[in-house]
Amino acid sequence: MDLIWDGIREAFRLIFTGNGEVYEIVLLSLTVSGAATGMALVIGLSMASLLAFRAPPGRTLVLSFLNSGMALPPVVAGLVVAVMLWRTGPLGQLHLLYTPAAIVVAQAVIATPVVTALSAAALQTLHPRLRLQILALGASRWQAAWLLFREARLPLLAAVMAGFGAAISEVGATIMVGGNIKGSTRTLTSATVLEVQRGNFETAMALSFILLALVYAVNLYLTVLQQRRRAS
Amino acid sequence: MDVLMDEFKEQHPGIGTVKAVPGGSGQLLEMARRGELDVIVTHSPADEERFVAGGDGIDRRPFMHNFFLLAGPEDDPAGVTGAATPAAAFKLIAEAGARFVSRGDRSGTHVRELAIWREAGADPRGESWYQESGVGQGPNLQVASDKGAYTLVDSATWTALEDDVELVLYVTDAEAPNVYSVTRVNPQEHRVNEAAARAFADFLTSAPGQAVIEGFGREQYGEPLFIPGDFAPEPASTP
Repeated sequence: MDLIWDGIREAFRLIFTGNGEVYEIVLLSLTVSGAATGMALVIGLSMASLLAFRAPPGRTLVLSFLNSGMALPPVVAGLVVAVMLWRTGPLGQLHLLYTPAAIVVAQAVIATPVVTALSAAALQTLHPRLRLQILALGASRWQAAWLLFREARLPLLAAVMAGFGAAISEVGATIMVGGNIKGSTRTLTSATVLEVQRGNFETAMALSFILLALVYAVNLYLTVLQQRRRAS
Repeated sequence: MDVLMDEFKEQHPGIGTVKAVPGGSGQLLEMARRGELDVIVTHSPADEERFVAGGDGIDRRPFMHNFFLLAGPEDDPAGVTGAATPAAAFKLIAEAGARFVSRGDRSGTHVRELAIWREAGADPRGESWYQESGVGQGPNLQVASDKGAYTLVDSATWTALEDDVELVLYVTDAEAPNVYSVTRVNPQEHRVNEAAARAFADFLTSAPGQAVIEGFGREQYGEPLFIPGDFAPEPASTP
């Protein structure tokens, strides 16, 4: 138990004494997982719109794949991405292995099914005639999409939070494709794993609390965004 | 370790549940210091001696070893070919500013690597050519291969992975073998299962335990990965 209090104290110390390495790690975690969520959002919203509004043939089949994709074990995603990025792999020429970009790709692969499946479900709850009505009122296709997203913002923002949560909490794939390299690909989760291996349980605990605080801050922001607009 | 555990359980059917917790030497020593473990197998001699000296550990027995090797890219940018000792090679690497990948995780390999840097009179920390991978031995070798960097690796990992990496061997660390020891947690300091811990330590140093070590990897790689017995530094054999 002492370890938990020591961990909290250490977390405050690391943050307020301006430990450069910790700031660097926090910043990398935020950028990498933010970028991955962004990628997942672009792909997810486009796919979800297509599935919800166009009702293409085989929609149920695709949705069942996406729903299973939410349970995609991160380590499987990591392995597949790593093999693709190996020098001998199809994308080896890009030299992305053991770079932050590789982590973005792996986390995006993990977050995309989550964002897509939840967004598709969100958009499918809209009244099917709503889109036709908006288009009939003279809105362009993009304006229509924007209005429909706004209409479904509550579940859509929940999808964003779920996607970001899946990305930033990930560690297996992150280490596999990123390598946990100091000052380059070390994230909050992989740094925590390393501190445990080193036997620095206190520091590991501190990093865990920093991660929790960070996740909370991001979700607080998104939740405020979600609820405020709802009230208006 | 799995093979050893299976054999141990077979020999001691009445021992109850045995749980092997894998982890780096730093992690295991720290958990043992907190009385969370009964017996530990580690390969970080100086840390183990501190652990025993501090009263938390007793009865440390080296029971197998292999060697540390310096691996690096084929084109040998630091010109370490022919270096007599690892320290001499490290000095050349530092002077050339050639890329080096360290595990940076306080594992036995990392501790030995730091000792070699001290011996070489170089301090690589913070240098741009020195990178800490923060991962285990196998993945670390992959990172070094990908970056075309030098790295310190133990001979078992090297034998298992040499075909998968684009690195070659340069120097064998003959002065300090990679020694694995079994150490019991002091029953006077911590609540431990003393009988089982002793049985396990005895097993590792017994003829059947040593035979398992001797045979491990022989079939798959044509040579054993670990050399059983209390170590006696052997003449430098380049694997």
